[in-house]
Amino acid sequence: MRPLASLFKGWFLIRRDLSSSRRLFLTAVSFILPLALWCFVSYVDWIWHPDIKLQLSSEREGNSTVFTAGDHISPGYYQEMVVATRAENTRLLASTPPPKSSKRANQKLLRQLAPVAISHDWLPYTEAQNDAVIYHLWRDIATGTKVPTDPALTPENLDIVKQNWAQLAPLAADFSLASLPETPLLKLIPQGLPANPVYLPAPHEVWRSGWRDFKATPPEGELSMTQRYQHSLRVILLGFFWACVIGVPIGILCGVFDFFSKLFEPFVDFFRYMPAPTFSTLLVAVLLAGDAPKIALVFIGTVFQMILVVSKTTRLLDPSLLEAAQTLGASPRQMLTRVVIPGILPNLYNDLRILLGWAWTWLVIAELIGVKSGLTEFIETQGRFRNFDRVFPVIILIGVTGFVTDQILSWLHGIIFPWTGRGNPIAQAFLRFLFWPFRQLSKLSDRAGTPT
Amino acid sequence: MAAALQLPSYLDQSPEVAARFQRLRERPVALEVSGLTKTFETTRGTVTALSDVSFSVHKREFMCVIGPSGCGKSTLARVLAGLEAPTSGDVRVYGQPVSGPGPDRGMVFQSYTLFPWQTVKQNVMFGPLMAGASRNSAESEARQWIELVGLTKFENAYPQQLSGGMKQRVAIARALANQPRVLFMDEPFGALDAQTRCQMQSHLLDIWKNVDITIVFITHDLDEAVFLSDRILVLDPHPGRVREMIEVPVPRPRHNDQLFEPSFMAVRKHIDNLIHPPGQDHQKESPVLRLVARDPDVV
Repeated sequence: MRPLASLFKGWFLIRRDLSSSRRLFLTAVSFILPLALWCFVSYVDWIWHPDIKLQLSSEREGNSTVFTAGDHISPGYYQEMVVATRAENTRLLASTPPPKSSKRANQKLLRQLAPVAISHDWLPYTEAQNDAVIYHLWRDIATGTKVPTDPALTPENLDIVKQNWAQLAPLAADFSLASLPETPLLKLIPQGLPANPVYLPAPHEVWRSGWRDFKATPPEGELSMTQRYQHSLRVILLGFFWACVIGVPIGILCGVFDFFSKLFEPFVDFFRYMPAPTFSTLLVAVLLAGDAPKIALVFIGTVFQMILVVSKTTRLLDPSLLEAAQTLGASPRQMLTRVVIPGILPNLYNDLRILLGWAWTWLVIAELIGVKSGLTEFIETQGRFRNFDRVFPVIILIGVTGFVTDQILSWLHGIIFPWTGRGNPIAQAFLRFLFWPFRQLSKLSDRAGTPT
Repeated sequence: MAAALQLPSYLDQSPEVAARFQRLRERPVALEVSGLTKTFETTRGTVTALSDVSFSVHKREFMCVIGPSGCGKSTLARVLAGLEAPTSGDVRVYGQPVSGPGPDRGMVFQSYTLFPWQTVKQNVMFGPLMAGASRNSAESEARQWIELVGLTKFENAYPQQLSGGMKQRVAIARALANQPRVLFMDEPFGALDAQTRCQMQSHLLDIWKNVDITIVFITHDLDEAVFLSDRILVLDPHPGRVREMIEVPVPRPRHNDQLFEPSFMAVRKHIDNLIHPPGQDHQKESPVLRLVARDPDVV
């Protein structure tokens, strides 16, 4: 019992670090926990599941609201739909002679099986209206060649498929709309399963949609997800790059010279309270459509914070280092280039890391202004159609991108700035290797400069 | 402390010591401070940190400045180094007036002030590089100074990896690499533990012996001041002014055994009396916080 007991001891010590294996474990748990919660809520019926998600739907006579497979409805309404559809079928069977129906109506009934075909990959989702394939599917299901499993058809619906097939079978093998019978077909009874509201799709649905969206070749003239992703990255990196080009030098100057601090900072401090998105229409008017206003928005959202943060970081540099440099004979320019800049670099690097995270926030807004673009356009469009299973992968992708970039940059910190004490020997060796050509060059130039 | 009563006067100098001071006085003046006054404007009015301070230091002399806290020791060091401008009076190094910080006057701070992004070698190379030396000559120069302070094994270490004593040695090497004419040290060993401080004091004397340099050393430690210096400048607090310039009658070379010699104890006691006038301290009974039966062994 003793080893087991020690497993539970020492997890909660005030201001004490846990062992590295326990830390790793908890890091894993911190990701697994929300995922598990999501799975739990999604796959255990009795927890929530207030809706019915339709797997198979049918239109009702005299009801203008059309629900299709994948829609969410309340259980009460679902019951109503089932009962009404059964009643319609009963009425149809009872009436003699059978009423006439349009071929168009029958075509719609034929397509009732399309969602079943798509979910079994018998039909690509882009070809939901390929009636010839769907026609043969009716045959296959009626004869038992193909057995739907996900969703499985209820015995009642299988019966209906067979009855309908009796009518459809005589058609020509090469199916066409004209050859559809005018006698109405029976309607499939709606089928559905308990589900969570549409805004909380289950993990597997999100995964499937995400996989599908990223693999899909887009229709002519539209961007693939990879292209959208690249576009978003381009906007954010360019915006951030220009913010650095302008913000870092000004920030350093403000931190070093009181002159620039008093000249720039009051206005910058005022300007940063004006939300960047409020300039969106102005930016579009000035820079026109395209990426320019988007990059400008990321720039405006980032640069003012950057100036203030960088100037603060610069001011945090130990002033006694500057005094020491002075007593060693450094000129003002040398103090700036040899002391201030190398001295603030590690903190500056961390500042920029955090600011890059903020830039992602501006990206989402930037992509909505002017001509919508990138990942956000996709989120916006699919969100409007309530296709949240397609929205979530993109949101997660942005999150993962930000997180991974930050982790990599944080790891690089130790390599680039070995004196901060976070470096490791391998990383330093790597760095030495990386800068070998520069060292050789500087040695050569030194030799050239020394008269011997 | 009955023994203290039989101490000789701190003014008594053995013939050798007296002769040495005679020779010292004949040397050229390395640092001349005359009528130095420094005031600071604060929200609560003008504070005078230094008032009419005058003294001179001769070439190759080791002088300590000592005084109670608030006597303006550090301000004096900063003014001498040129980091602060005096309100009035002037400072001359070999006759040249001081107008700002410069490589002719080295400075060692209590807080080490090593550049954390540079290795030991690069830190020591800093001064020569600023003076326009080529990288190669600065490097060989730096190596010599690093060897002098005994850190050759650590020349590629970053300051963060060194102990306090080692950091201060690097700071000394860095200041010396500029070959300054006067070296100011502002409580350089104040942050070190007692043992390391002792080692560093001997080490500093070794360096001073081998390098052509005049040292002005700020401290608040009596033993340190007496052990290191030729003369001690005692400052009074509020405002800081010269109380006395004391010639230390302890013969050189110095070693740790001298701490208990009568001449050492005499001068130490004299300075102690100057800084902490007898009869002022230890008079207040500490308040009785908790009543306990008196313990005859605890007095």
